[in-house]
Formats: sequence, structure tokens, C-alpha cells
Amino acid sequence: MTALARHQPPLLRRAGVRLGLRYAVAVALTAIFVFPVYWLFIISFKTPDEIFAFPPVWYPESLQLANYAVLFKDGDAVTVGNSLILAGVSTVIAMVLGTMGAYSLVRFRTGGEHLAVWIISQRMMPPIAIVFPIFLLYVFLGWVDTYQGLIILYTAFSLPYVIWMMRGYIEDIPIELEESALVDGCTRWQVLWKVVFPMARSGLFATAVFTFVFAWNDFLFALVLTRTEVTTYTVQVTHYFGGQSNFWAKIAAMSVLGTVPVFFTVATLQRYLVRSISMGAVKG
Amino acid sequence: MTDTATFDGNGHRALAGRQPDWSFRYWIIAPAILLMLAIGLFPLIYALIVSFQGLTMLDNDTSFQGFANYAQLFKDLRLWQSLAHTLLITVIALPVELVLGLAMAYLFLERLPGRQLFVSLLVMPCVISPIVAGATWRLMFDNRYGPINQILGWFAGHPVPALWTVNPKLVYPAIVFCEIWQWTPFMFLILLAALSNVDKSQLEAAEIDGAGFWRVFRRIVLPAIWPVMAVALLIRGLDLVRIFDIIWALTSGGPGTMTETISIYTYVQGFRQFEVSYTAAMAFLVIVILTVIVIAVIRRTGLVK
Amino acid sequence: MHFSKFIPLAVASAMAFGAAASAWAESAAERAVNEAKKYAGTTITIVWEAGLQSLDPLNFSGPKWKELTGIDVKVVEVSTAEMFTKIMQDYRSGASAYDALNVIPAWMPDLAQAGALEVLDPYVDKYGFRDELQNIAPTYRDNQMMVDGKIYGFPDDGDVFLMYYRKDIFGDANLQAEYKAQTGNDLKVPTTWADFDSVGQFLTDKLAPNTYGAAFFRQPPYTMYMFQERFRVEGGKFFDADTMKATINSDIGVQVLTAMRDENKFMPPGVETFGFVENLAAFLQGQTAMTISWPPYGRWAAGYGTDEAVLSWVPKSTIAGKVGYALPPGGHPELAAGFALSVSSTSKNKDAAYLFIQWLNSEDVSLQRVQLPYALRDPFRNSHFTSPEYLAKWPDAGAYLAALQEGSKTGLLDLSLLQTDKYEEVLRQAISKLWAGDDPKAILDTAAAEWDAITAKIGVDKQKAVYGSWAAKSGAYPKM
Repeated sequence: MTALARHQPPLLRRAGVRLGLRYAVAVALTAIFVFPVYWLFIISFKTPDEIFAFPPVWYPESLQLANYAVLFKDGDAVTVGNSLILAGVSTVIAMVLGTMGAYSLVRFRTGGEHLAVWIISQRMMPPIAIVFPIFLLYVFLGWVDTYQGLIILYTAFSLPYVIWMMRGYIEDIPIELEESALVDGCTRWQVLWKVVFPMARSGLFATAVFTFVFAWNDFLFALVLTRTEVTTYTVQVTHYFGGQSNFWAKIAAMSVLGTVPVFFTVATLQRYLVRSISMGAVKG
Repeated sequence: MTDTATFDGNGHRALAGRQPDWSFRYWIIAPAILLMLAIGLFPLIYALIVSFQGLTMLDNDTSFQGFANYAQLFKDLRLWQSLAHTLLITVIALPVELVLGLAMAYLFLERLPGRQLFVSLLVMPCVISPIVAGATWRLMFDNRYGPINQILGWFAGHPVPALWTVNPKLVYPAIVFCEIWQWTPFMFLILLAALSNVDKSQLEAAEIDGAGFWRVFRRIVLPAIWPVMAVALLIRGLDLVRIFDIIWALTSGGPGTMTETISIYTYVQGFRQFEVSYTAAMAFLVIVILTVIVIAVIRRTGLVK
Repeated sequence: MHFSKFIPLAVASAMAFGAAASAWAESAAERAVNEAKKYAGTTITIVWEAGLQSLDPLNFSGPKWKELTGIDVKVVEVSTAEMFTKIMQDYRSGASAYDALNVIPAWMPDLAQAGALEVLDPYVDKYGFRDELQNIAPTYRDNQMMVDGKIYGFPDDGDVFLMYYRKDIFGDANLQAEYKAQTGNDLKVPTTWADFDSVGQFLTDKLAPNTYGAAFFRQPPYTMYMFQERFRVEGGKFFDADTMKATINSDIGVQVLTAMRDENKFMPPGVETFGFVENLAAFLQGQTAMTISWPPYGRWAAGYGTDEAVLSWVPKSTIAGKVGYALPPGGHPELAAGFALSVSSTSKNKDAAYLFIQWLNSEDVSLQRVQLPYALRDPFRNSHFTSPEYLAKWPDAGAYLAALQEGSKTGLLDLSLLQTDKYEEVLRQAISKLWAGDDPKAILDTAAAEWDAITAKIGVDKQKAVYGSWAAKSGAYPKM
């Protein structure tokens, strides 16, 4: 039995019962959380009469892929690609810069409380209030409707989150590991890359997922700062909600197209979630 | 060769190291800070200046208006109501998301066949664009075309014409439910990562001592996951204050202004109706309130050492 | 006298005559094309409502214009909810990214006041568009084109609320007999709201739950338009013209709100949450006998255009051939929303942009545009209503166009003042409170007080002037 399992109430100690019960709860929970996603998913296959059917239809008659084909034909699928690029690149940059910054804050207490609070205060700004000044800034720089403009923006806004989250995860790493590496002759950079980053893997993963998600979900800045060249999927989706129209099939198909890559990424990178390196086995 | 080790109040040690690269700490954080400054400084200054002017849709008046906008804030009942609504949602949703997320993290901590699939699926609610999620829930809550009332009808045995987006008694439950649905997976994944990092040797030692679940949780697990958990709560709390899309999709702040949160009010005022200066003043009020709260929280919980 | 001396004179006269002749004979569309050719190779940017509406410039008018003049048309699609904001932001920031614009007429006072729209009169005269402008249907022409006597946009969309009803149900002999027996009146399409309540209740009693007497899109943004219409039809006035105090909380207002709430009882359960598509689905699937909405319902119910891929989201019509068209009770339909074509005052290509919108709005081209199967642009010129080509589109097209033409003569203009959105927001909130169960009188008293506060903040005299010029328009209040 695992260490964590041992401090459960006695009734649940029987392995079979535990597993069965856990499985049942897991399935029930997943069903509840996934049901709306499922509903959205099947809308992409439904006919309009099935979408607006009374009583509601839980399973479409046929799985028509026409809606997806249309998205590619009309070029709307490009917007999913745009979002992937913007969110992906900004996440990578933010993770690197932010984790380094977090390390500085934790191990060296750079800037003390003031710097840390200033960093998190960036996330307190109501977006509405700053979107227009940023628009003005970007008009001046010529960055409206460009990739680099939005990437830099998302990176800047992700940094507070990354820094604060990674602070927590880095604090979890026993300081002795780093010191023994230093004693062994590593430079500080090597300590950072060879000890800290690997040890913080699960934290990196969890933080990266949501850094990506926050950039991916952004609507307001993408709306104001783009026109035609760099339309993101969030903005494109709102085009399907008209005063006199509702392209549910496209909305659903686009959302599925946008969700599937993230799903697979999370699924494949999950092994980093659980730290497999144990305390003793560290060498620079 | 080594600095003198320094200790803080919690017994944590700053990293001992060699003298010559004292500037390392500044170099590694410099790019991040520069980037945040470059993007964040101008809007802040602009908003500050503008909040003292008289910019509206009709008036491009940039003359100094003194504290007129700020004085207006205190007379604005709708503003304080929206803050109250925001507080209500935050105070209910945040603890639920924490407890539920923690419970789910425990559930998936040990090996489980298909765990990878479960976890990947459970993250889905956050990944759907909040606008689409809101619209989907709107459709699901629909009386005729949505499955929610249909399911309720099965349980009740008779049709349940609950109008979730219109009935004043149901709008808050609907909104809070959708919000919890969307962001509990966030707490779940973060806490799962944190729980999996808990030092196993300590747990084994406690088990040998025969300690019960709650004692182990309070003495070993909680202190270990506290840094991460506290930050997650802080981030989630700040984001809850800015909640917008779900509510906009479900009720647009209605009925009347019953579910109008601060970000909806700012959106309508600043974005639709171009009360540029007044919105800037509102934004600063929110920042001040939040900063005070955050500093208080940080000090009390010792988040920054 | 040398004969050759006359030649220059002759040639000059011939040219003058020819020029004069072509000024008369050339259509506005042709003239726009000819004048625009000198801008070949440039690009003009136009803001258009995203989604279905944008298919017009993307698939039809944009490519055609490029073919005729060599000018590229770049379409910036924006959701309706964000259009006003993006236009204002572009203007205020000095970005000058947009050349031509789609503008909802109710926004014109605000945009004109802010200086974002170019005054079009000089261009209209320069390129000879006055005549064709006159031929826009009266209500759109006289109400949606000008602010303070200056032209700021060309009405380009005949948005109007029509009543759609099931001819087969109203023509059913049994139902007719029963209704006559019950009320002493004939069962016909209601022309007053009292009739509507009576007929609607009757039909629901007889036919529910398969079919209900009626349904409307009861979500606040839509119901706000219906309230504006019904309130005025019953005799209400928005403001006291002298004091500028809001008078929506008069007895008429209270009666209208109360009636609306009571009508929900004979409509499908949950009608309070119906939006445009829910209402459409209910009607097309045969679940309601009457409804009120914009013109596309009429086309789609008849099956026109719904086999286009882009209209595949429209539920299949089960009632093609059974749909009748009429004016809503009261006979003065709301010209809800609508669109006009304008030129941005900060554009760097004003002439090219202007020529494009003249071409779009001209007799020839607009006729083709309103007939596009996937179009959301509705007929708005006199010639559209009598076009033989349109009349041949489906069997009842004649009745459809006749009803639209009636609407274009008697239609009511949306309230349009400075900061119209603030007033509309109050109305939207009032509707949402109504569905939540609040008392109509209390709701309207609060709404009137909020309107007065907004007016006070803008400046009573300033707003009074704008209201005065709005109220003077032919479509502001029905002639009683």
C-alpha cells in the first residue's frame, strides 16, 4: 500500500473496495465535468433540427463531418492555428522567463515583498481599463494586427502568474539539492537548468497548462488588437453569434478543433505531473 | 567562499552561494521585469491621467477635472452593488473549488487504470473558450432545447420549467454552478502536482508512528502544499473578481442589474458607452481595494518571505 | 467663312451634348465604376457585421467591384455588439484603419457628433447620386439617412418587423366556426393587440401542446424593440418635448408591459428565454401560429435560400407554402436596427470609399444584393418591392414584398439620441425585470427616473435639440 493510502480510514483499506469505489467516483465526476463538453461536441455533428429539437436529442442521427469540412474550406480553421501559435509561443517564453524570475524571488528574495506584490498587481488591473491604452501604444508601434504584438502581450500578462505559481513549486524543492550541486562545482546557471527545472517538472507542467489556457481563452485583447490578419479562435467564434443567426454547428466544430490539440498535449505530457526523481538520486 | 546563511521567520534559508555572481539574481529576473514594465507601465499611467480628466463619448475634454470622477464613484450605487455581487460569487465559489479540487486531487493521486485519460478529460472545462462555455450552458439551461431541465424532469417525475437565466432565484445558483464547473479542474490539476511532490519519506515515518489521516494532513501534507495552494487561491480569487464571460452569456448581468459584477459594469460603461475617464477611476478603485486585500493576505499567511 | 471654323465649335457642342446626355443616361452604379477606375490598385477597408452579412462583400460585391474597377476590398468582420466600439476606438486613436463603414442608424447622432463620420452631401452632388437616393423607400430615406439635415449614411437594409402567420391554421373552417361562436368575431390575422391576445389565447386553448397561438423572441435586446413599437402604437410618447422628462411610465407604458407579461401565458413555456433562433426554430417546426420578426423569417419559412450551405444552420421549414405575411398589430412596424453605409472621416481614401458605397447602394447593384439567397439585406428601395425577378422567387413572394412595402411606408424609427445605448440599456433591464416578476409600474417608474438622470448628465438642452429633430422625422411617431 502506498504511504498516502495508509492514512485513510480503516474501512477503505481493502484494496479492491478502494479501487472500485475510487473508480466509480472518478467516472461519475468525469461524467459531470465532461457532459457539457460532450454536448458541445455532438452539436458539431447535429442537424439544426436536432440542435433545436424538443425534447433534446442526446445522440445525433448520423455523424456528419460536413461542418468540419466547411471550416477548413472557408479558412476559419486558420484562426485555431493562430491561437495555437500565439498561446504556444507566449507560454514557452513566459515559462522560461517566469521560472527564472521565480527562482530569483525565492532563493535570493530579490526585491523583497515590494517586487512580489508589484508583480501580482499586474493581474489586478481590470482588462477593460487598459485595453484602450494598449491599443494606442500598439498603434504607435505599428503592432496592431500582428503576431509579435499579441505574443508579447500574452507573455507579459502571463509572467505574473508563472512567477507566482513557480515560486510555490520551487519552495518545495529541498535547498540542499542545489547546495550540494554548487559544492560539486556547478555554476548557478547549471544549478538552475540541471537541478531546479527537472525537480520542478510537475509544477512546470501544471503551470504551463494554465498559462496556455489563459492566453488561449483571451477575447478582449484579441478583439481590440486585431482586424483581419491575426484573428484568433475566440474572436472568430463570436462572429458566429449574430443578432439574426447562430451558426451552432460551426461554433461547436471550431471549439472541438481548438480543444483536441490541448487534450492530446495534456494527455501525453502527463507523466511529468508526478515527480519520479526521489531525494537521493541527484547528480549535476 | 559561502555567504553567511540567512534565515527568515519560517526557518527557510536563502541559498548560500559564492560571492562573485551576486548579480545572477538580477540577471535572471531582468527580462521578465522589463517585459512587464514595457507593456504594463504605459496603460497604468495613461489610465491614471485619464481618470482625472473628463473623457466621455461626446467630450474629448482633456482638461483637469480634479477628483470629480472619484467623488462620483462613491455616490454610484450601481458600482457598490456590482462589487457586492462580485464578492458574493467569489466567497461561495472559491472555497468550493478548493475543497472539491483537493478531494479530486486525492482521488487521482494513487495509480488508477486510465488515470491519464481521466485527468486529460477533467481539464477540458477550462480549455473551452469561456464565451463558448457560456453559450453552451445557455443552451443547456434552455427550457425547451436543453438537457438540464429534461434531466430534472426525470428525477422529479414531471416537467420542471425552471428558467435558469431569468428567474431571480435561479440565476445565482446557475452562475455559481457554471463557474465551479469551469475552474475546479484548475485547482485540481495544481493541487495534484503539489500533492504528488509531498515528501514520501515523511509520510512513511508518520505511518509507522500510527498517525491518523487528519493528523497527517494537518502536520505534513498541508504545510508541504501550502505555498502552491495559497498562490492558486490567490490567483483564482483575483480571477473570480474579474469574472465576466459566463455571466454575460447567461444573463448579461440581469435580471435588471441583479447579477452584474464589476467587470460587466466596467465593460458596459467603458467599452460600450465610452465613459473613458469614469471607467479609469473605477479601475483604480478596484486596484486599490485588491492591493489592500492582497497585501493583508500575504502578510497574514507569510506567502512572501 | 471657313467651314473648318465650325468644326471645333461642332465638336465642342457635341462633346457638351454628349456629356450632358451621359450625365442623364448613366446610372449611378456605372458612374461610380467609371470614376473609381482611376483608383485601381488601391485597397479600401470596410467594416461589416460578422457572419452571414459579411458574405455579401466577401463573395459577391467585393469580388465584383475588384473586377470592375481594380480596387481591392478588405472586409473587417466585427460582431454587431462590438461594431460601435471598434469604430469609435479606431477614430479616437487616430489609427485610420477603416475607409467605409456599416453603421446602425440609431448610432448616427453619436458618431456624427463625435466627428467619426464623413458628411456625404458634397460627394453625392459630385457623383450625381441624388436621384437614386430619392428612390429609397420613404421611411428609410427620410429617417435613416441624415442627422441635422446632413447626409451621413445611405440606408442599405430594410429591417422591419413583420408578422408571420400560418395561413392554414387561420383558414381552417372548424377553427373559424368555433372562434366565431365563441367571440362573435371572425378568425383573422389580428390588427390590434387586443385582437392578438384574444386570437392567441384561443389558438393555444385549441391546439396546445402541439401548436401555440404565438411566440416572440422575448430576450431583452429584441423585446426592447417590440416595446418601442407597441408603446408608440398605443399612443405613448417617450419624452415630454418641452421639459424633456421621460414619459415611458405613463399608463400606456404600464399597460403595454402588463399585456406583454400576460401574453406569455399562452406562449410556449420558457418563451422568456427565446432568442432569434429559438423563436425561428419554433415557428419553422410548426409549433407556433403567429410570430413577429425581421424579414429573413419570411424568406426562410418559404424555403428560399435555405439549401445554401451557409444557411444550413436554419432548421428545416415544415411550413413552406403555409406562411402568410402581414403588418404587426397596430400597423406600424418597428424598423428595428437596420444598416447604413458610411465613410469614415479619418479615411485616407475617401473618394474611393464613397464610390464603393454609392455603387453598393445604387438601384442596379442593391437589387442584386437583396436577392442573394444567403443575404441578410432586406429590400429597401421602391424598385425592390416591385421587381419581377424577386416576385418570381417563390409563390408567395408577392404577398411578402407587398407587406414589406407597407411596412416601409408606415414603419417606426428606433429611438435615436445622444448616447442612445444608455437609454436602450435601461429598457433592456426593464424587460429583464419584467420577466423576473417585478411590478410593471415600479419597473417603468425606475426606468423613467434613470432616463431623466441620463438626460441630465448629457445636458437637457443638448438632448432636447437632438430629440426634437428625431421626433420631427416622419417615422418617429405614428400618425394617429
